[in-house]
Amino acid sequence: MNTITIENALPRVFLEEAERPSDVWRCNLSISRGEMVNIKAESGTGKSSLCAYIYGSRRDYDGRILFDDRDISTLSINEWQEVRRRHLAYLPQEMSLFAELTALENIQLKNRLTGHLTDERIEHYLRRLGIDARTHYPVGKMSIGQQQRVGIIRAIAQPFDFLLLDEPVSHLDPHNNRIAAEILCEEASRQGAAIIATSVGTDLDFQPHRVLNL
Amino acid sequence: MGIVTRLLRRNLSAAQTAGFVISNFIGIAIVIAGVQFHEDVRSIWDNEDSFIRKDYLVVNKTVTGANTLGVKDTGFTTDEIADIKSQPWVRKVGEFSAARYQLNASMSAGGGRALTTNMFFESIPSDFVDVKGSRWSYTPGEQEVPIIISKDYLTLYNFGFAASAGMPQITEQMMSALTMDLLLSGTTAPPMHMKGRVVGYSNRLNTILVPQEFMDWSNALFAKGEEAPSPRRIIIDTNSPGDVAITDYMEAHGLEIAGDKSASKASYFVNLISGLMVGVGAVITTLSIFILLLSISLLMQKNREKLHALIMLGYPLREVGAPYIRLIAIVSAVAYVMAVGAMFAARSFYIKGISGMAGGATGSVWLSLTVGAAITLLSLLFNILSVRRKVRTAFF
Repeated sequence: MNTITIENALPRVFLEEAERPSDVWRCNLSISRGEMVNIKAESGTGKSSLCAYIYGSRRDYDGRILFDDRDISTLSINEWQEVRRRHLAYLPQEMSLFAELTALENIQLKNRLTGHLTDERIEHYLRRLGIDARTHYPVGKMSIGQQQRVGIIRAIAQPFDFLLLDEPVSHLDPHNNRIAAEILCEEASRQGAAIIATSVGTDLDFQPHRVLNL
Repeated sequence: MGIVTRLLRRNLSAAQTAGFVISNFIGIAIVIAGVQFHEDVRSIWDNEDSFIRKDYLVVNKTVTGANTLGVKDTGFTTDEIADIKSQPWVRKVGEFSAARYQLNASMSAGGGRALTTNMFFESIPSDFVDVKGSRWSYTPGEQEVPIIISKDYLTLYNFGFAASAGMPQITEQMMSALTMDLLLSGTTAPPMHMKGRVVGYSNRLNTILVPQEFMDWSNALFAKGEEAPSPRRIIIDTNSPGDVAITDYMEAHGLEIAGDKSASKASYFVNLISGLMVGVGAVITTLSIFILLLSISLLMQKNREKLHALIMLGYPLREVGAPYIRLIAIVSAVAYVMAVGAMFAARSFYIKGISGMAGGATGSVWLSLTVGAAITLLSLLFNILSVRRKVRTAFF
């Protein structure tokens, strides 16, 4: 997968509302592999909706979204699952971690599907993000900031062409934000992949090629 | 247990699972016990007379004084046979044909003292006689004729004649090993010696039966040109043995059903009882399948968020549904095994009695086991389809 194209898209709930200036909605926008994009948004401008549309978990929009030349509304369930395992990594804002599983089990839940990270690599990331002491802790008992770091490692436990991050560092301190950004950029550049990060407040501490206002 | 299974088994209700296992067990047990009972009881009739099926009726006209005086004929006219054929309980009708020549049979048993007697032959269309293999056939030119005799004749000989005349008693097997010397004599051909071999005994046919081919050939040879008299007896293949309409018709037309009439009535009741059992069992099984469908649906509804989250991670839908399908397969298998156990336990109560009546024979258990397995597989199929559908709905 080389490009994600958004053509004249708009969440259906916005159809009735007055048009606001946006770099994304009702625009033609293309993001290619290797790009670093930061999408800045205010609350209620459809940031999480955009992520859900691109990740295929919602379809309530007008316009088109394409992976290369393929309209994603035509992808079958099996094709979506293949995309999600091999081409498109995603950290949702709510993280969708399993509270009863430990940090390691949550990461392995994804990694056993893809076999992408070695055990040493996972340990290394846990250590760098300062949560190695929580490896065997149920995620439900961890702070939101710690959960966010588990989610970040799980998101990169797969090969990808695009890494979609919905407010990945909203609960991290600047120090951990920087480490998280380093890890994410390392993984992305190793695979020649793009990063698309969104934020309402705290931006991911990386050097985006483009900043878009939603 | 894998992480996925551990996640998705959460919220599994032990009570609901047990509820399904028990109700499915009871349902399948009743169904297969009903089928098995039917099979076992049928072995009694099958053993009693393996040549003539139990839903065949042998019918003749009641003999009255008028017949004796020769005023009235006991033969069936073409119209009468046509009328019987038109009855709703009749599948097909066969006519008895009788030998129209003199027949003399002698047989030496044991010490060489020969038993000689005048005899008669009758035949019925071959498709009414159920003898396995080629034993029941005759090709003109053959020296030996297969014969089925009434079991009553053997009883008469053994306990009536042999005992009083100082002859040795003989068993069915001995009789079958011996051959009879037959002397056939008629008006249109010189007398001919032949051999007869008893290939079976019948409780339901009070006659000496030879293959239809032999009858046609011998009548043509020894009674050439003679017109065949109207049949005295007919055999009816009925589709509802024990039907009251049959008895009513027979009474109204002065006809008699030969042989054991109670067998067909008992068979009707056995069919009724096993039918009822299978029906009740089927209802319970259907309900139990719905219990399982509901329990699994409920469980998946409770775990919907997790199903969705796993799908979001890119898990193949097959893998997401697998823990539920495994669970369904296990509980269905447990219910089936328990039902089979219960069926054999129930069977042990009556099998001695039945096997005694049937001379050691019992029905096969394969039919009931297959029926049980088929129900289990059907339930499995329904549930798997439902799980798949439920998983798909968790995609969005």
